Amino acid sequence: MTMHATNMGNSLYKTDPLTKRLNAAEARFRIYGMAAVAFGVLALVGLLTSALGTGVSAFRQTFVEIPVMLDAAVLDKSGNRNPEEMAKITTIGYAKVLETAMVAELTERGLLNDRVSAKDAGGLISKEAPAQLRNMVLANPELLGTTVEFRALANGRVDGFFKGRVTMESAALDSNISPAQLELAQKMRELGLLSVSFNWGFITGPDASELRPEAAGLGVAILGSLYMMIFVLVLALPLGVAASIYLEEFAPQNRFTDLIEVNISNLAAVPSIVFGILGLAVFINFGGLPQSSPLVGGLVLTLMTLPTIIIATRAALKAVPPSIKDAALGIGASKTQTVFHHVLPLAMPGILTGAIIGLAQALGETAPLLLIGMVAFVRDYPAAPPEGFLDPAAALPVQVYNFTQRADPAFIERASGAIIVLLVFLLAMNLLAIILRRRFERRW
Amino acid sequence: MNDMRLTERTVDTTEIKIAARKVQVYYGATHANKDVDVDILDKTVTAFIGPSGCGKSTFLRCLNRMNDTISVCRVEGEILLDSEDIYDKKVDPVQLRAKVGMVFQKPNPFPKSIYDNVAYGPKIHGLTKNKAELDEIVESSLRKAALWNEVKDRLDAPGTGLSGGQQQRLCIARAVATSPEVLLMDEPCSALDPIATAQVEELIDELRENFSVVIVTHSMQQAARVSQRTAFFHLGNLVEFGETGQIFTNPSDPRTESYITGRIG
Ligand SMILES: Nc1ncnc2c1ncn2[C@@H]1O[C@H](COP(=O)(O)OP(=O)(O)OP(=O)(O)O)[C@@H](O)[C@H]1O
Ligand SMILES: [Mg+2]
Repeated sequence: MTMHATNMGNSLYKTDPLTKRLNAAEARFRIYGMAAVAFGVLALVGLLTSALGTGVSAFRQTFVEIPVMLDAAVLDKSGNRNPEEMAKITTIGYAKVLETAMVAELTERGLLNDRVSAKDAGGLISKEAPAQLRNMVLANPELLGTTVEFRALANGRVDGFFKGRVTMESAALDSNISPAQLELAQKMRELGLLSVSFNWGFITGPDASELRPEAAGLGVAILGSLYMMIFVLVLALPLGVAASIYLEEFAPQNRFTDLIEVNISNLAAVPSIVFGILGLAVFINFGGLPQSSPLVGGLVLTLMTLPTIIIATRAALKAVPPSIKDAALGIGASKTQTVFHHVLPLAMPGILTGAIIGLAQALGETAPLLLIGMVAFVRDYPAAPPEGFLDPAAALPVQVYNFTQRADPAFIERASGAIIVLLVFLLAMNLLAIILRRRFERRW
Repeated sequence: MNDMRLTERTVDTTEIKIAARKVQVYYGATHANKDVDVDILDKTVTAFIGPSGCGKSTFLRCLNRMNDTISVCRVEGEILLDSEDIYDKKVDPVQLRAKVGMVFQKPNPFPKSIYDNVAYGPKIHGLTKNKAELDEIVESSLRKAALWNEVKDRLDAPGTGLSGGQQQRLCIARAVATSPEVLLMDEPCSALDPIATAQVEELIDELRENFSVVIVTHSMQQAARVSQRTAFFHLGNLVEFGETGQIFTNPSDPRTESYITGRIG
């Protein structure tokens, strides 16, 4: 015969007060956590919508497409097609040619009336277009005397009109554009003389002056940032990892290494602009390196990134269980073998994450670059490396800053567009970090 | 305990492999080993017994200088391996550890495949000329550690995916693979079932043919079964050291007697 003991008033079916309290605490914590996550997601969504909302239009651009008669009598007065002599004709000469072509085309289509002068018609085209036409002709003098289909950038106000930034009302108050010109542009678009298409120039082209927002591009800035990232990767990653391995695994524990450790932690917290001052003093004033060059920028960003990489790498090395080290040492592996065969592979995912966070930080850094002259207006592409490391260049985040400093509202769109490009690069880097981490991470 | 068997047991050699004299170990201010004098004979199994925290592991780690990795640890005295002082300035601990292998108290396989775990030692010491030789060493080591039959079909599987007992046997195989002259084992069987324990004990007995083995154990039976000589540690002191049979049947120190009869723990 079996007998079941009766429980003494504390049935498992009934939740006791202690358990109730614990469950309530857990439920509360879950709510806090979800609220925190929701806040983060909201902030991100807000950021993205604002950047995308104003910036996406920078990737579309209005172009005017008209046949242009390249009058040899105007563009090559000597008539011998010698590029050196042809170069004497400035963009003013080409602007006239464009204006003539525009007027001819519009007259033929019957679009000209007494409210738009020849000058107004020419004004629909960007001031950058004559330079583009000139470059085209100088590169290929045989074109002289022929008629070419030329795709010219439209003026920023016209571009703005098709993107909804400029309206008839605002044009009435604007000395740069008149409602009549906008009506003409509208008619041209209906006839296919004017179109809106993808703006490669924004990604590949150089920056343009204050008066030509439609021509401003990020090409030089992207190249400059790329060159600097190459520097940071090549310098900061090996230096940082080597320093961390030494400090973590080999260095004796004494006052001196403690001091170094404290200094590295402090360096990571130093405001980035201080690194800019340091770079200006050491690399430019003392070292005599050229201003605005990706070399100096890269060095400054390397200094700035090193502490981040060192701290992340040391944390990753510390996280490797000591029992693994003991195992390797116990069968007679040397310290170096232990570190490189066992510790480093296990720390690799953490090191990569740290390195990419450091690199991403460097990519987005603006303040120190302002001080070493990368804020300068640079229109010429830096040459291919290694000489290009010494040529003046811009940087993406500084370009964003530059765009926002300019008066023409068209630059607001460009600034947001540049932010989008920057975000895309950061996203790509984070993706790379995740992929690399997956490859190195062998959880067994 | 089979006392008859114990008393019949003899030590085959009297050649001293490791001689420790007046060894003191400090962890900062903690004095973990006090005046320890031990002679480890060649081709002999020596067991270290004693209550928890009495300094058995500490002393064992002195014998292959694993204590060097603990920054607060300080070792004094003299430890001779084949009459060479292993704490001499000229001695490279790496070279020493290739001769004096170790199995740790907690299983610590590398996060690599079973094969790579065992092959790592022979590889870094250049013990083999080709893959076939390496395969052979891996197989024989795994067989010695009584693990071969369980893992022969999955040598590429991660070593950390094995059960606790299997992991410990993998660590034994890894230590055996480099053919050390002395094998230090810190409670190698604490995570093993009786069958695997018996297999490891058999292995220890086989190893005795060529190496000398030092084993730390909390099991009196195990010490009695596998060892020829036994050292009893208490509170950092080496209380008694002698033939296993004599220690278990006729201890000279009252503390030893209390411990083996279960009165100190
Ligand atoms: N890394 C360390 N740092 C500081 N003190 C330590 C360290 N390792 C051991 N000790 C101390 O040294 C003494 C001896 O420890 P040890 O590990 O040698 O004991 P043990 O005999 O192996 O015990 P167990 O049977 O429980 O493994 C203990 O008091 C312990 O607290
Ligand atoms: Mg121990």
